This record gives sequence, C-alpha cells and structure tokens, in this order.
Amino acid sequence: MKVVLGSDKNGFELKEKVKKYLKTNGYEVEDVSETPQEDFVDSSLAVTDKVLKEGVKKAVMFDEYGVGSAMASNKVKGMVTANVIEENTAHMTAMHNGAKAISIGSGVVAEKLAYNIVQYYLDTEYAGGRHQVRLDMLEKMI
Amino acid sequence: MIISIGNDHIVTETKIQLSNFLKSLGHTVIDEGTYDTSRTHYPIYGKRVAEDVADGRADLGVVLCGTGIGISTAADKNEGVRAALVSNLVAARYAKEELNANIIGFGGATVGEHLCEDIISVFLNSEYKETPENKKIIEKINNIATPNPEQKDNPHFFDAENEKWAKGVYHD
Repeated sequence: MKVVLGSDKNGFELKEKVKKYLKTNGYEVEDVSETPQEDFVDSSLAVTDKVLKEGVKKAVMFDEYGVGSAMASNKVKGMVTANVIEENTAHMTAMHNGAKAISIGSGVVAEKLAYNIVQYYLDTEYAGGRHQVRLDMLEKMI
Repeated sequence: MIISIGNDHIVTETKIQLSNFLKSLGHTVIDEGTYDTSRTHYPIYGKRVAEDVADGRADLGVVLCGTGIGISTAADKNEGVRAALVSNLVAARYAKEELNANIIGFGGATVGEHLCEDIISVFLNSEYKETPENKKIIEKINNIATPNPEQKDNPHFFDAENEKWAKGVYHD
C-alpha cells in the first residue's frame, strides 16, 4: 500500500519517524516533504495534490497541532482530511468519512501514539453504503 | 455572543447539553439542528452553521458529530469560514489565537461531556493575536477555495442527494 506523507517545519521530525515506521512495516512511502515546506498550507496542499490527482487512498500530513493542515486542505474541493489525536477516530474516519488524509500534530501527539493512529487508519477501509450520501454532499462543496 | 450550533443524529443529546451550557453563560444560541435522533446527514448542518457565521447572523459556530470530522469538514468547506477540529484545550486555544478560527468542531461521541464544555469555553474566551506570520497564513487559507455561488446560502444545494437517499439509492 502506498502512503503519501507531507510536513511543515514543525511536524518534520515526527514525519521522519513515521516514515521510518512505515518503511520498516513494508509500506511504500511517497514523501512530498523531503525538506519541509515553509508552512502547513504548502505542505498540506502538496499532499492534497498527490491524493486527488493520482488517486492515492491514504496520506498523512504533519504540522504542530494537526488543526491547520486539515483546515487548509479541506478547502480543496473533493478533499477530506481528518485531524486525528487518538486511534478510535483514526479508525472511524477511515470507515465512515473515507478520509483521504489524516493530519497529526507533532506538538500534541507523541511518537508511539502517532504510529498507532497511522496503523489504525491504514488498517481500515471505507465502508461506503449509507455513508456515501454524506461524502457525495461533501465532495460537491468547495 | 450569538453562537450557532449544529450536529448530526448521533450526538443530539450532547448538542442539547451544550446549548444549555452556552445559554447558562449568557450567550444566545441559534440551533441549526438536527433536532432528534432520526438518521440524517452531517453536511446539511455543517453548511447551515457555516453560513450563519459567514453571513454574520452568528459570531461563532460550534459543530459536532460522532467524531466531529465529518461536520467540521463540511463547515470548513464554506466561504468565510475557518473550522477547527480539536479534542483538547491547547488546540482550541491555538485555533482561535493563531488561525482566528470561527467554528470549533469536536466529536460528541469521542470527547466527554466535561471536556466538550471546556473546549467551548476556551474557544470563546481566547482572542486572535495577530502577527505578520499568522496574518499571512490566514490569508493563504482564505485564498485556497474557489467561491461557489451555487452553494452559498442555497438551501436546495443538497436536494439531489436527499432525493437519492429517499429513493433508497444509498444502502449498506
């Protein structure tokens, strides 16, 4: 499975750790922030571009709080990014929202929790069904 | 302040608790629904709250669904809105002080009843602290989306999806 990663300066160190975790566990990683972008708008939009143009199903954005990357990338039509702080939401948003990316704040989520959040997100498939009406609504918005 | 609040059917009881909490603090509440626990769709209510805030009918917005992700994403996808999904107080404060967020979202099923109230209090009580850096980043966020006149203030925007739902097109 391919996972896209991106980060601003604040999230860079945690992104590097998650990148190593993913590679160790056999995932293909595409890192759009080999060097960190100037801010979370640039990094989250770089990830969004990969997701929407190349149809990548899983991506993780890093910044200090996770809030900014989700706020910025959700402004792109068709994008759904979930700011995630614990594993239950990582699982639920993958299953119910078909989250095309999650964002993780390096200032609020420590290393071990970050690995587990990412793992729960990657291990869960979108359920579709009744949830698709909500995604159809979201995807026609801005 | 005037606070617009919206939710899906999973967390209506929590919404009522938070509406009462806001009123107890002296705020005026615009409750945009949903009002019961019949199955419905979070984008409808995220959009209503977002438009209340963007059009100046409300000062700030509060949105919740099970995880908060769906409705806060829907709210964010509106002109003039910066919606923040948080689950703790430090992020709620950051969202207001640094990003001048005007809608706060959280998971009514994931964040407990005490923490929900504290998140709202911190969000309402924090003030935007403008710096050249955060001013620049807010402008960048505001310029990402292309305005959609079809969407803005259109109560029929989701009619096609609602009709398909009523016909049973979407099923598990």
